[in-house]
Amino acid sequence: MWTISSGLFLGWSLGANDSANVFGTGVATGIVKYRTAIVLTSIFVMLGALLEGAKCIDTLTDLYRLIPLEAFICALAAALTMTGLTFLAVPASTSQAVVGAIIGAGVLSGSAHFSSLYKIVACWVFTPVSALVLGYLCHRGLGFIVEHTIRNITHRNLFNSLGILAAGCYGAYCLGSNNVANVTGMYVGAGLVSPLAAAFIGGASISLGVLTYSKKVMMTVGKGIVPLDPFSALTAVLAQAGTLHLFTQIGVPVSSSQAIVGAVVGVGLVADAQTISMRMLLRICIGWLATPTAAGFLAFVPLWIISFL
Amino acid sequence: MFLEKLFSHGKKEREVIHDISRHIELLSAACKTFRHGLEKHDRNLMQEVATLERYGDAVRREVISHIYEGAFLPYLRTDLCGFVEIVDQVFEMLKDIATLFLRSPLPEKIERQCCMVALLNQRVSEMLLLTFKAMSNGEDIREKTLAVRIYEKKVDDIKYDLLESLQDVPVDNFWKGRMLADFVSGLTRISDIIEDATDALQIINVMTR
Repeated sequence: MWTISSGLFLGWSLGANDSANVFGTGVATGIVKYRTAIVLTSIFVMLGALLEGAKCIDTLTDLYRLIPLEAFICALAAALTMTGLTFLAVPASTSQAVVGAIIGAGVLSGSAHFSSLYKIVACWVFTPVSALVLGYLCHRGLGFIVEHTIRNITHRNLFNSLGILAAGCYGAYCLGSNNVANVTGMYVGAGLVSPLAAAFIGGASISLGVLTYSKKVMMTVGKGIVPLDPFSALTAVLAQAGTLHLFTQIGVPVSSSQAIVGAVVGVGLVADAQTISMRMLLRICIGWLATPTAAGFLAFVPLWIISFL
Repeated sequence: MFLEKLFSHGKKEREVIHDISRHIELLSAACKTFRHGLEKHDRNLMQEVATLERYGDAVRREVISHIYEGAFLPYLRTDLCGFVEIVDQVFEMLKDIATLFLRSPLPEKIERQCCMVALLNQRVSEMLLLTFKAMSNGEDIREKTLAVRIYEKKVDDIKYDLLESLQDVPVDNFWKGRMLADFVSGLTRISDIIEDATDALQIINVMTR
């Protein structure tokens, strides 16, 4: 069972990095206290993992059937990549780290299923695009409804406060349901754990990461991309959560980082394209490219060395 | 915090809105008292202005403490406090000119124009109250801010006539002249500060849209 330890490390790293995508904007704009945000995120991540987490696990097991040692090294490589990027305050993608690592292992053995990879990569491309469209539509549509129904300043304040909270909880639920496959999905493929146990272990490790090491990226995501007002923050999180939920139903684990960046850009476009920090977006894009490459390399090298032993 | 917000239905926010309304009502009352004091040469009414300013100050402190106890989302707090501070500046100005009036009587030559400005100040403060109430109910405030600007323009027009009239007013010494100049300057500045307050309201209104 020691091979699961790297998955726990990866889950912890994912929680530390990706919880920013759920409550980052709310915390950075001062609407939700950091402590409230991390407690709620960890609870709803766990719920999402247990109720819908199994839906995405099959896709990863289709990519390449790992043996326990390979699963350990892949999870470790993905976790190291994510920790490095979290340390550098770059909102990186765990899905890409995991898939990069699995492909790294698959290339070495020459049995990676690239046909499944196309589906995953296509979803990666559609994630920010669909989040952008959803963010734009959410902001326009919900904005219109709120504008015509909640006019009183006190009621609107209440709506924004509770909306941010509700969207954050929904976002955390979707994060757990979609991303738990990244953490422990490969162990199901290696026959080490059942899907339910994988969802439980994955959810618990993500929650631990949220509770212990998530503040830095949370502030980067919230403040670095675009100055958000409460309503925009609400719609961005809602669009991101909606995107994640959609891909959970398709069964593909996608990047919540890509989704929130797409959603924030979509929301930013409603106001003014000039409000978006291109430098920050470029930095995030570099993270996206670096993540699968670094994780693939970190999985490939130790497995290649082990193959000589 | 959120459960408290949910079950109180925004009690703190409603208190803040109520207190700000009370603050502006007191300002209108102070402007009205000042106008009557000026028209009737009533020293008691002018002293009453200082009393109303003290009440206003107490309400301002209440509003700010309520806001920083958690009423409204953080992004709005600075602007709401800023608005309350601007209204407080009007109170201060009104108290100062009431005190100046008590120390140095107004020359007859400019009395009529000063009474006219005092009346416009009262009207503009009442319009500020209407603008605030409209904003808190989520109504369009563009027409009301326009009305404030029109009042301010009227005061501006009278101001230049007043300055011209002042040139012919004989003064006994430098300090008497200085006090008179300060009185006229303060009296004509009030509508200007109230206009700033409505601009602040317009910003808050846009932020909550």
